[in-house]
Amino acid sequence: MIENTSQETPRANAAAALRVAAASFAYGAEPALTGIDFQVMPGQAVALIGPNGSGKSTLLKGILGLIARTSGTVEVLGAWPAPAGYIGYVPQTDQIDPHFPISLEQVVMMGRYRSLGWWRMPAKADRRAVAEALETVGLGNRAKTRFGELSGGQQQRGLLARAVASAPRLLLLDEPFNGLDQVNRDALIETVKRLKQQGVAVLVSTHDLDLARAVCESVLLLNGAQVAFGPRDEVLTLTNVQKAFGSVGVEMDEHTIVVPGHGGH
Amino acid sequence: MDVFTSLITAFDLPFMARALLVLVVLSLVAGLVGVLVNLRGLEFISDGLTHAVFPGVAIGFVWGGRDGLFVGAMVAALLAAVVLTVIVKRAVTSDAAIAIVFTAMFSVGIIVVSRETNYVGQLDALLFGRLLTVSPTEVNQTVVVCLIALVLVGSTLKEQVFRAFDLEGALAAGYRPLVLDLVLNVAIALVVVAASSAVGNLLVLAVLIVPGAVARLVTNRLWLLFPVAAGFAMLAAWVGLAFGYDASVNGGVDLPSGATVVLVLVVGYVAALVVRLGLDRIRALGRRRRLVERVGR
Repeated sequence: MIENTSQETPRANAAAALRVAAASFAYGAEPALTGIDFQVMPGQAVALIGPNGSGKSTLLKGILGLIARTSGTVEVLGAWPAPAGYIGYVPQTDQIDPHFPISLEQVVMMGRYRSLGWWRMPAKADRRAVAEALETVGLGNRAKTRFGELSGGQQQRGLLARAVASAPRLLLLDEPFNGLDQVNRDALIETVKRLKQQGVAVLVSTHDLDLARAVCESVLLLNGAQVAFGPRDEVLTLTNVQKAFGSVGVEMDEHTIVVPGHGGH
Repeated sequence: MDVFTSLITAFDLPFMARALLVLVVLSLVAGLVGVLVNLRGLEFISDGLTHAVFPGVAIGFVWGGRDGLFVGAMVAALLAAVVLTVIVKRAVTSDAAIAIVFTAMFSVGIIVVSRETNYVGQLDALLFGRLLTVSPTEVNQTVVVCLIALVLVGSTLKEQVFRAFDLEGALAAGYRPLVLDLVLNVAIALVVVAASSAVGNLLVLAVLIVPGAVARLVTNRLWLLFPVAAGFAMLAAWVGLAFGYDASVNGGVDLPSGATVVLVLVVGYVAALVVRLGLDRIRALGRRRRLVERVGR
């Protein structure tokens, strides 16, 4: 790298992978999230932090175009709607039927469907991409296992592999740390770091400050509206966090945000 | 050995061969569609669709006889599939609303047929099919309708599986579930139409649902489900037809052929269920024994 750009402040002229400006989102007539203004540069990661119901999932769905935007703009690599295949999305695993008869590698192959198109069956290049994606998340030896037989953490990594297999430019993760043990957390963090090195932009919603500290340069604090956005350590102040979590009793340590009456994570 | 020779000789008769051809084609398509019905848990909606197609069958029949039946069923099927897709998408209704709408349509069909002379005989044919008196024209119609359904499902198969597995993921990947649902519902409706002359409006549900359920019991491997379901349905059709023929020729018992085929399907399901439960039990015991050995050591 010749240019010495600070990690925290992206070059003004660089093309953002995701740019959200003065955006509001709504479920039907009900406004769900207002005043969102931030961007994610290629190779960088932003953590979405806020209490339950603060609009983290809403924002992810708004970026995916699954819920209505009532004002402002959203651009993925300068375009809206996002070109097919630009966004990789890792949903929460609790929606998935554990009895569904499908193997891990078949789930990951779904990441290739969009580029395959209707009618076409996967080719050798697709199989290679799937195998590589599974190696990337450290599940190369579980390819044939039925998805429902994997542990929650492995399922989460499997869905991440599906997103990786689609070679996205922007990766959206919805609470990827929920219910994960340390081994799976480490594997997930490693994968996200590797993707960032490849220039993938990452937006991850989380309760977990470890994840934010490990991979995110910036933090977006939410509480039905944007509370703060900026470099991680500038945003994650006790005052800001208390503002987002709406409680003066909120405490914060190295790893987690503790809301009175809710326990930690 | 009579039953076994019947498996071959029965189909020397042209009407038996036609019946077999219709059922084999129907089984193949219903098997594929049925696996998706099973994966999506659309059994109840399929039931609704069969009811909704009925007034179309009835009106078509009253209007133009057997040929009209086919046209009427096609119109009703497409209409019902579209309406159903929209109703479910809007989510303004519950299962109760679907049941109310479709039983109402079913009643309309019955009232239409009741205006006909020979009401009972006609109704019987529409509800339970006339497998052994299927005409060559009806064979062609069935094959064409099944082919359309096959193309619809075949061209969207992997996307349908994606949608069944993970709706949010499919949405995020840019798929439009409304389109996929419409395609699947139209395919289901087409199977109902294709089956209406052969096994009738009521028994078609078994052809749609049992093979998919059997496949789920037999295998956990995704792409095996489809050939297993189709193969099982075809086998049941063959055995059922031959058994009905044998019972009538050698046993002197006249069995309604459509219902016989359906019963063979169900017997096959029960057999698969028993085997599966047995295997699961043995596997569980084996696991426990290994555990006990490890602890004992």
